[in-house]
Amino acid sequence: MREGSPLSREDPVKAATVASVSTEGDPEGSVRVTLRGVIVALLAPAVATVVAAPVSNTRPEISIAVFMLAVVIAAVAGGLWSGVIAGLLASIIRPVVVEAPLSFRFNDVEDIATGVVFLSVALVVGLLVGQASEERARASRREREARFLGTLSTKLHTGEVPDRVLNEFAEVLMEPFGLSRVQIDASLDGTEVRAVAHAAESAPGGPRTRVQLIAGDAPIGQMIAERPAGGRPFSRDDQLLLEASARQATAALDRARLDARARMAQLDAETNQLRAAMFSSVTHDLKTPLASIKAGVTSLLDPTGHHDERQERELLTTVLEETDRLNRLVGNLLDLARIRAGALTPTRQPAAMDEIVEAVLARMRPRLADHRVTAEIPGDLPDVSVDPVQMDQVLTNLLENAGRHSPAGGEIQVHLLWMNGGVQVRVADEGPGIPADERERVFEAFYRGASHPETSGSGLGLAIARAVIVAHGGRIWIEDSPSGGCVVAFEVPREEERV
Amino acid sequence: MSRVLVVDDEPQIRRALRTSLEAHGYEVQAVGTGEEAVIGAAESAPELMLLDLGLPDIDGTEVIRRVRGFTELPIIVLSVREAQHDKVAALDAGADDYVTKPFAMEELLARARAAIRRAQPGEPLAPAIRYGALEVDLGRRLVTLDGAPLRLTPTEYQLLEAFATNPGKLLTHQWLLRKVWGQGYGTETTYLRTYVRALRKKLGDDAQAPQLIVTEPGVGYRWIAEGTSEAS
Repeated sequence: MREGSPLSREDPVKAATVASVSTEGDPEGSVRVTLRGVIVALLAPAVATVVAAPVSNTRPEISIAVFMLAVVIAAVAGGLWSGVIAGLLASIIRPVVVEAPLSFRFNDVEDIATGVVFLSVALVVGLLVGQASEERARASRREREARFLGTLSTKLHTGEVPDRVLNEFAEVLMEPFGLSRVQIDASLDGTEVRAVAHAAESAPGGPRTRVQLIAGDAPIGQMIAERPAGGRPFSRDDQLLLEASARQATAALDRARLDARARMAQLDAETNQLRAAMFSSVTHDLKTPLASIKAGVTSLLDPTGHHDERQERELLTTVLEETDRLNRLVGNLLDLARIRAGALTPTRQPAAMDEIVEAVLARMRPRLADHRVTAEIPGDLPDVSVDPVQMDQVLTNLLENAGRHSPAGGEIQVHLLWMNGGVQVRVADEGPGIPADERERVFEAFYRGASHPETSGSGLGLAIARAVIVAHGGRIWIEDSPSGGCVVAFEVPREEERV
Repeated sequence: MSRVLVVDDEPQIRRALRTSLEAHGYEVQAVGTGEEAVIGAAESAPELMLLDLGLPDIDGTEVIRRVRGFTELPIIVLSVREAQHDKVAALDAGADDYVTKPFAMEELLARARAAIRRAQPGEPLAPAIRYGALEVDLGRRLVTLDGAPLRLTPTEYQLLEAFATNPGKLLTHQWLLRKVWGQGYGTETTYLRTYVRALRKKLGDDAQAPQLIVTEPGVGYRWIAEGTSEAS
């Protein structure tokens, strides 16, 4: 269970949808009596009276037209009720100003008919105007809703893990709906997941509503949305939009679940492939030294055999060498397992790469006694933030490789330099080199190079080196060496990159 | 005959160590738990403890802490390579040295001899020690290389003194910083490296083929030179 963070940070998507789906200032306003409506309803007939007065006795048809215009204006500007009021007023005033000022009466059928026409016009125009504005409001609301659901869909379709989707969803709803709190409880593949988002500061106990989350046909959970105390109650439109949003969320959830499954399947396939390679490789690599060790030791223990001192030493030396080989292999396999488990996390500390390189060279010298090892190591480079033990291991692997691939007496050059705001280490050998099309693949676990499959490495050294360097935010690659052979180079940035 | 307390929960390792150590003239007491280790250290007063960190009952580092509560008996930690950070913790808790499993017996025996020798009481350090061309006279605070006096800063001298008085011992960054700079220090490894580098240069030691100071990346330094004392 994870809590969604309060909506305090800036978010462009959210900003775009803020308040856009609020149903405040709803379209029914055209039917309600507003202050503006009242003013228009009173003003329009009054103006008509003034305009029509001079001509009303001589040209009654003009006065009728003027009053009619007033009624229409009132209905258009103020809505249905303004029109009706204006119509009533016009019906009463017109006969009065036309015939006998201040004599309050309806003369004849003509006046009554005019009044009825005024009211009918007011009704028709008012209703049409009201409908049109309602239609307009509804259309723009629909557009806003569609836009909201659209952004919601983009927001949710991020290939995230399922519970991230729910958290994201809860947060996205907050501002557009003016919510103080959203809580989603769902059951995903048998696991109960809860996502909660709440506004930074808001009083509890406001209106709330409940929306079911339905995936396919089956309910998988529910969402409770709450507004701050004293907030607007949830309208039917709010409810419908929340339900539509919830449908989107469950769809996104389904996608996320499928994505996760697909990823797992891919990982499984990779793992299986790796496992097959591992079996053939590891079986051979583990059994060979064990066979030598067992043969040597049983030979020494055999009471029927006789070994002179030289033979004895030879057997024991073999046992020792094979033990070392086994030890390195097991170490590499453990590292590989750690990489696969995502447990190869560097423990960084400020360290001087020159010191690490020198220490590794000092330790490796006896093992590289058959080669000429030269080093160019400036002592004044800035510290880098690395795991010294892991760096030691990378260098050891690279030097071991160089030693293995170089002919006896060949030169192994180690260079340390400052490049691109980080430290670069280069290990060059005089071996056969690596063809361009194999330069990526040599970093894969158990890859031993098609051109020289007989070399005795485990095929893990470079894979581990790359995993370590990548974990440090650096990169590792292979170049041609000017002296023939190849250069394995890596770079690590000075500081851990802040994400 | 020196008595060695071997602490490891693996019977095979105990047997191998017992056989090899006895063949070299040590008297061996082998136990398999941390409790027994603490009791053994207290009751049989061994001259050296070989301690595996992964014990079934108490954490090895905790064993060191408890043992350090009553004795300065030298402790060499036997650990697997994977437990690098446990090693540093063990050293900082008071272990004298560590040997990585699997180890060569001759290496373990050399470390054991050095640890026992350092702990010998009553043998004051010779006032002047010679390491090849280098001579360190701790009594007169005089350092000469090929007979010519070396100019060391006070910090460099203190660092050299810390090394020379702890030959063969793995000195952690934290230990050296506290020893030379004072109790308030412990994490300023950059200082330490700068001074070690300067000291190495003045002493003519090549870090790529060291004769005096060996770097253990991420852990500390070790003074490896065997000194010969001279009558001054």
